[in-house]
Amino acid sequence: MNFFHRYCGIALKASLLVVFLSAGTSAAQDFSSMGISDVVASADRMLQRGDYGAAIPALEEVISRTALLTDSQGMDTAQTCRFQLARAHYQTGNVASGMTVLDEYLANEPRTKERIALRMMAQGFFDTQEWDKVENIAVRLLEFPDLEKEDIYNANLLLGQALFRLEKWQEAVEPLANAAKTAKDQRIKSLCQIMIVRALVEAENWRELFGWIPRIYRTDSKYDITLNLTLMKAGKVRFEDDDYLNALLLYRMVLPREELLEFSGEYEKKLTAKLNKDMKVGIPEAEVEERQNEIKDLKTSIKTLSELPAYEEEVTFRIGQIYAEVKRYWESYVLFDKLYNSDRNSEIGEASILQSVLILYDVGENNRAEERILQYLDEKPDGLYARTLLNMMVRDNLVRQEFSNVVGLRTSVEGLPAAGSDDEKTLQSDLYFMLAFGYFQSKDYKLAGEQFSVILDSFTDSNHAADSLYYRGMTFMLQGDYVNALTDFKAYQAENEFGEHLSASLFREAVCEFGLENIPSAEAVFTRFIDKFSDDVLVSEAYSMRGDIEAAKEATYEDPHTLDRALADYRKGIDKAFSAQQASYAAFQAAKVYKLEFKWQEIIDLMQYYMDRWEEKANVAESVFWIGQSQIELDQVDDAVTAYLDAIERFGNDPLQQGVDKIILELVKISGYHLSDEDRDGLAVKVKLKLTSIDERMEVLRLRLQVTQALLEGDDIAAALGAELLESNIKLALTTPASLSLMCDAAIDTGNIKEMDRLFEYFNSNYEESDLLWHAYRAKTHKLLTEEDFWGVLASIDEAQGLFGAEAFMAWAQIIKADTQFKMEKFKEAEKEFNMILGVPEWRGPVFAEAMYGMGRCRLALGDLETAHSFFQRTYLLFKSYADGEWAAKGYLAAADVLIKLGREEDAVKTLQAMLEDEYTNTSPLAEQVREQLKKYGGQ
Amino acid sequence: MNKSILIYVLTGILAASIPAEAAFKATLIMPGDKSWEGSIIARDGDWIEFSTGKSPRPIRLGASTIKELVFDVKLDAEKLAEMNRNREYERVIAALDRAMAPYVEYSDIPSNLTKYNALLMELYYKTGDFEKSLEVSCKIAGDDRDLDLQEKSRIYQALALIDSGRSDEAEALLSEYGWDQGLDNDAAPEKLYITAKLMVLKEQYSNAMELVAKVIAFNSQNPDWMQPAELLCAQVYAELGMYDSAEEVIRQISLLYKNTNEDDQAQKLKIRIEQLRAEQELKKSIEPENV
Repeated sequence: MNFFHRYCGIALKASLLVVFLSAGTSAAQDFSSMGISDVVASADRMLQRGDYGAAIPALEEVISRTALLTDSQGMDTAQTCRFQLARAHYQTGNVASGMTVLDEYLANEPRTKERIALRMMAQGFFDTQEWDKVENIAVRLLEFPDLEKEDIYNANLLLGQALFRLEKWQEAVEPLANAAKTAKDQRIKSLCQIMIVRALVEAENWRELFGWIPRIYRTDSKYDITLNLTLMKAGKVRFEDDDYLNALLLYRMVLPREELLEFSGEYEKKLTAKLNKDMKVGIPEAEVEERQNEIKDLKTSIKTLSELPAYEEEVTFRIGQIYAEVKRYWESYVLFDKLYNSDRNSEIGEASILQSVLILYDVGENNRAEERILQYLDEKPDGLYARTLLNMMVRDNLVRQEFSNVVGLRTSVEGLPAAGSDDEKTLQSDLYFMLAFGYFQSKDYKLAGEQFSVILDSFTDSNHAADSLYYRGMTFMLQGDYVNALTDFKAYQAENEFGEHLSASLFREAVCEFGLENIPSAEAVFTRFIDKFSDDVLVSEAYSMRGDIEAAKEATYEDPHTLDRALADYRKGIDKAFSAQQASYAAFQAAKVYKLEFKWQEIIDLMQYYMDRWEEKANVAESVFWIGQSQIELDQVDDAVTAYLDAIERFGNDPLQQGVDKIILELVKISGYHLSDEDRDGLAVKVKLKLTSIDERMEVLRLRLQVTQALLEGDDIAAALGAELLESNIKLALTTPASLSLMCDAAIDTGNIKEMDRLFEYFNSNYEESDLLWHAYRAKTHKLLTEEDFWGVLASIDEAQGLFGAEAFMAWAQIIKADTQFKMEKFKEAEKEFNMILGVPEWRGPVFAEAMYGMGRCRLALGDLETAHSFFQRTYLLFKSYADGEWAAKGYLAAADVLIKLGREEDAVKTLQAMLEDEYTNTSPLAEQVREQLKKYGGQ
Repeated sequence: MNKSILIYVLTGILAASIPAEAAFKATLIMPGDKSWEGSIIARDGDWIEFSTGKSPRPIRLGASTIKELVFDVKLDAEKLAEMNRNREYERVIAALDRAMAPYVEYSDIPSNLTKYNALLMELYYKTGDFEKSLEVSCKIAGDDRDLDLQEKSRIYQALALIDSGRSDEAEALLSEYGWDQGLDNDAAPEKLYITAKLMVLKEQYSNAMELVAKVIAFNSQNPDWMQPAELLCAQVYAELGMYDSAEEVIRQISLLYKNTNEDDQAQKLKIRIEQLRAEQELKKSIEPENV
C-alpha cells in the first residue's frame, strides 16, 4: 500500500524577527564576533534567498545567545530562531536535527508556530515511520481550537495513516473518511478510500464496508490492485468461515486480473509521463521522490499481480458456489455455465457442468439439465463426471416416475467405460440398479431381472447386491417363474438375517410355493410368516392367502372346519390390514366363502363390520352389492333394491367407485328375476325420478343412471344408448365400466375401429380391475380382426382369457381364436380350439353348434371328408334349436356338399330334403337356396 | 443509476432568477462552430432575434439554421444535489422546471438544455411518471450531438414503455435498436436488464430470471446497473415462487443499498412475500380436509 502524507510546507517565509530586524548585512562566517542584530539580519537574508544551509550557523548563534534570556523579547527571539532553524534543517534534508530543535521549541514558550511545528514533527516521524508518535501529534493537532479546514484535513490525514499503520483498523476509518471527504486532490481521495476499505475489511465491519463500496466502485479506485487482492483474501476467509453473504459481496467486487493489469499499466504510463513533464518544468525534489515512489509501488503491485496464478476462474467458481448456497440459483447457474463454456476440459470447467446441472434440477429446469447431461455424455463419455451426471438424470427420472426415460438411458449406462476406482464402481452399480428399477416399474420384468443380475454378477460388493437378489426374485415371481423366484427369496433370507426385505421375502416364498401348487408348503410358510412377523405390513395378505388355501380345501369328516378356519383368517386379514385394499380383499373373499355356505346374514354382518372398521376408505359400493345380494337370498328384495338405489345415488358420481357398476348390473338382474311387473315398473320410475332430480353437475351419476335405465328397459335400448354415447363423443372421464361396456359393444356393432382402440386404452388404463373389462378386450380383438392382424388377435385373446378364463361371457374369445387359426390355415389347431368349446358347460348354446360346425370345416379343409360330414351331421342333429336353427341349416348344407364330394349325390339329396322337413330349419333363409338346389337334381 | 449526469449538471451552477424580460443571455453556435456571445431578444415563428450587443439592431436567424444555443441557466447545484440525495425528486423536478420554463419557446432548437432534460427524464422515471419520461427521452433520442446522452435516452425510452405496460412498443423499440440480439454473458448490462424487464411484463419469468442473473453475475462491479438489477431479481424470484431466494436478495439489497428507492421497493416486496407465504400455508392447512 502506498502511504501518502501531504505535508504542505506552508509558507514559512513570514518575517519573524520583528524585534531584531535591522539592516545588518555582514557576510562574515564567524558570527560569534558579530553583534546579535547583525547575526539576525544575516540569518534573515539567507532565509529570504533560500540559502538554508548558510542560515543554520547564524540561527544557532542567535539561539545560543538568547536561550537563557527570560524576558519576553529574548524568549520570543530564541523561539523564533528555533523554529526557523528547525525549518532550515528540514529544508536541507536533515530532518533528525530539525526534530531535535522542534523538540526544544515545543518545550519552551512562546509557541506561536506550535501547529506548524507539530505538523513538521509529524512529518519527521512519518518519514521515520514512528507511527505512534505521528498519532500522538495528530491527536494533539486536532485538539486545537478554531482549526482551519486545511489543518483539520492535514491532521486527519496524518492520524488516519498512523492508525492504519498501527493496524488500529476501526479507529483509522473516521480520520481517513474525513480526509477523503475534504481532499481536493482526487489521487489522495482515492488512496484514502482504498485505505478505508482495507481497514474495514480488517476490522470485519461489513456493514460500513458495503456502504463504501458502491461509492468506490463509481471511481477508478476499483482498479487498485491491492484493494482487489484485499477483497479477494477477505472473501476467502469469510467463505471458509461459512459466512457466505459477506464472502459473496467481497468476492464479487474483485475485478478480473487482465482488467486490473491493463488499467494499472496505463495508469503507470500516465503517471510516468506526467512526472517527466513536471520535472522538465521543475518541481521540488521531495515531490519527485514521492511520485517516483508511487510509480515504483504501482510497478511492484503490477508485478505481484502478474506473478499470481490466474484467480478469476477460482473466484468465479466460488461466487457461483456461494450464490447456490444462498439459494440465488440463477446467478449461480449463469456463472457455472460461463465457466464450463470457457474451458470444457479444465478441472473447473468439468466441475462447473456438474454444478450447473445440479442448479437446473434445483430450479425445476429438468429438460435443460437433461440436454446438458446428454451433450456432455456425447462429448465426453469418459468425462470426470459422466457417471455422476448420468446418475442424477436417471435418479431424477425415477423419482418423477418417468420409467420409460430411465430405461431409455440404458445405452448411455452401458456406454460408460469400465469402472476403475471404488467410487466409480459405486456409481456404476447405482446406475444398473436404477436401470433395473426402471424396467421393474415399467413391468418389463425380464429385462429388470437381467439388470439385477448384472449387479449380482459384476458388482458383488455393491450395497445394492442384497436388494438386487430380492428384486430379481420378484421379477421371476411376476413372470410366473416360481422356481427361480423361490431360489432367490430363500437365498436372500439365508444371506440377510436382518435384511430390509427379510419378511417380504418369506411372504413371497409362500406365494411362490402357492404358485408352484405346493399348497401344504405354501400354507406352512404363510403360517411361519404370520407367527414370525405378526405386525408386518403384509400379514393381512398372508392371512387372506392362507384363508384362500383353507377355503379351497375339501371339508372331510376328519377335518370338517376348513371354511371356518378360512373365515377366521379373513377376519384377521381385515383386522390386521394396513390398507383398505388389503381389508377389502379379505372381506370380499370371506363373503364368497359365506356365500358357499349360504350364510347370508353373516355376509351382511361382515360387510357392516368391514365398513365400520374402514369407514370412508372402505369399498362401500362393493359392500352394498354383497349386502344386497344377501338380502335377495333372504327374500328381502325391497331392502336390497332400496340399498342398491341408495348406493348408486350416494357413490355414483365417483367414477372410481366401481362397485356402483356392479350394483347397476345386479339391480338389473334383480329386476328381471325377482321383481313383479308392478315392482319393475316402480323401479324404472324411481330411476327416472332420480335422473330428473339430480344436480346437473353430477355428470357421472347422471350417466350411470341413464345406463341403469337403459339396461332395465332391455338389451336393445341399452345397445342404442351405447351407440348414442359413441356418437355423441362423450368425455371419457365421465364414463365408468357400465357405460364403457355398452360403448365397446356399440363400437363393434358399428365397425368403428378408431373407437374400439380408444375405448380399450381408456378402459384398460382406468378400470383394469373391472369385471366388465372383457368388453374392451372384445372390442380390441374385433379391431385386430378387421385389420387382419391375426397374430394380434391371438395375443389379445390370450390376454383376455388370462384375465377372465372360461367364464360364461367369454365364449366369444374361444370362437374367435379357433376361427382365426382357421383363417391362418392352421386347421388342426383350429379344430382343437373349436373342440375345447364343447368342454365348457357354461358355453352350452349356439356356441356349441358353431364349434361343431367349425370342426367340420377344419376336417373338410384337411380333406377328411368322412369326419367332416360327421361333424356337420352332429351340428344339425344335436344343436338344431340354437339360433333359430341357423347352425343346423348350415350343417345340413355343408353335410350335403361333403356327400356330393364323396360322390354320394343321392344321400346329399336326402340330407337336403331332411332339412326342408325339419321344423327348425325349413323356415331358415337357407331353405330357399336348398329348394333351388334340389330342382337341379331333377325334382328328386 | 446514472448519477453522473446529475453530478455533471449540478456542478458549479447556482440558482438565479431568470430575467423577466424576454432577452436571454446565450451563446449562439452556428454550423461550422462559429459562435457569438449575446442575447436572444425574441422569437417570431421560425425566426430568432439575436443581439451581440455590438450592433444596434439584432440579427434575425432561421431557427433551423442554428446549430446550438447555450443558455446561461442558473441552478444551485449543491442544493439540488442534496435534494436528490435525500430523494426529494419532486422538488428537484420543480426546480428544473422553473429554471427551464423561460426557454420552453426554444425547446425545438438544440441547446445545452438537453442535459437538464436528461436529468428530468431520469427523475420522471424515478417518480413513476412514465409518460413524461417517455416524452423527454424520445426527444433526446433524436439528438445525436451527445452519443452518450442519446444512448441513455434510448434506455429510458425502453424502460418507460415497459413500466407503462406497453410491451409491443417496447419490443419493437428493442428490435429497432438491436437490443434483442446477442444477449449473451458479455452483453451490456442495460441491454440485459431491459430485456429482462420486458420478459417480466410478458410473464416469461424463467427467461427474465436468466437475463437478470447475467446482469448480476457479470456486472457486479457496476453499481449503476447492479442496484436495479438486484431489485428486479428479487421480484422475479418471487414471481417464480422461489421465496427463499427472493428474501435473500432483499437482504442483500438492504445491506448494500440502504435508503434507496430499490431498498424501499424491496421492503414492500418482502411484505408481499410474507403474505404469499401465509396464503400458501393456509392453503396447505386446508388441503388435507379437501382430500
